[in-house]
Amino acid sequence: MPELLPGLEQEAVDKPRSGLEPGYLVICWNDPVNLMEFVTHVFQQVFGWPRPKAEFHMLQVHEQGKSVLIRESLEKAEHYVHQLQKYSLHATMERDS
Amino acid sequence: MKLTRVSKDQFSLQLGGREKSLLLELLRLYPRVPSNYLAVSKMRNLPDSNTSQKLLDDALAEQRADNKRQLQALMDNPGRWSENQSGFQLALSATEIDWLLQVLNDIRIGSWLILGSPEERFEVVNPETAPHLWAMETAGLFQMYLLHALQSAG
Repeated sequence: MPELLPGLEQEAVDKPRSGLEPGYLVICWNDPVNLMEFVTHVFQQVFGWPRPKAEFHMLQVHEQGKSVLIRESLEKAEHYVHQLQKYSLHATMERDS
Repeated sequence: MKLTRVSKDQFSLQLGGREKSLLLELLRLYPRVPSNYLAVSKMRNLPDSNTSQKLLDDALAEQRADNKRQLQALMDNPGRWSENQSGFQLALSATEIDWLLQVLNDIRIGSWLILGSPEERFEVVNPETAPHLWAMETAGLFQMYLLHALQSAG
């Protein structure tokens, strides 16, 4: 994984790759116009994360320009990208090479 | 705009008369983000990027149509706004607040795009840019009010 992930994601990262293949990363990119509070709210809504985890990723987006939010199957990654884009967040999915 | 009461997932928000007018004027700008703005992938390394993009475009178009209908209902239904001595009370559920946040962010992002996606604080204020700057900042202000309302309810 190219990105630093918080503790709660370690479990997913450590799973055997075969169980996650093909892996797709859901990435949120920084748009400087988005309010930090709003981005935190969206992450909580879409992923059901507790506030500290949502804030961690929000800050990563803000400070590093992007954050890998989750690694999923194609269908689930598409679902999450759709959910994030409903809020006009700049989210994409990329194949985990 | 301030939260005056929360009960059983129902938020009562108090707005002054001028605030209500500003909010409705702002909401009339929806949608502002161009339909081709959001891409499903940057690297386009998906098995079928075109299909994935089409799925996304269709889902967002449907969402946008739903939002417009819901907005119209909010603006046209006088029953949603109860007048009192201080202005107007607007009752919204948590789901509706979340939906309104989506709509407001579309207006904020769309206005920012019209202004040329400035990285820093936008300072070129003239008759051409002022309406978009107003929309961007006012949408952000209402977003903060709504986020604080959700937070204060725990």
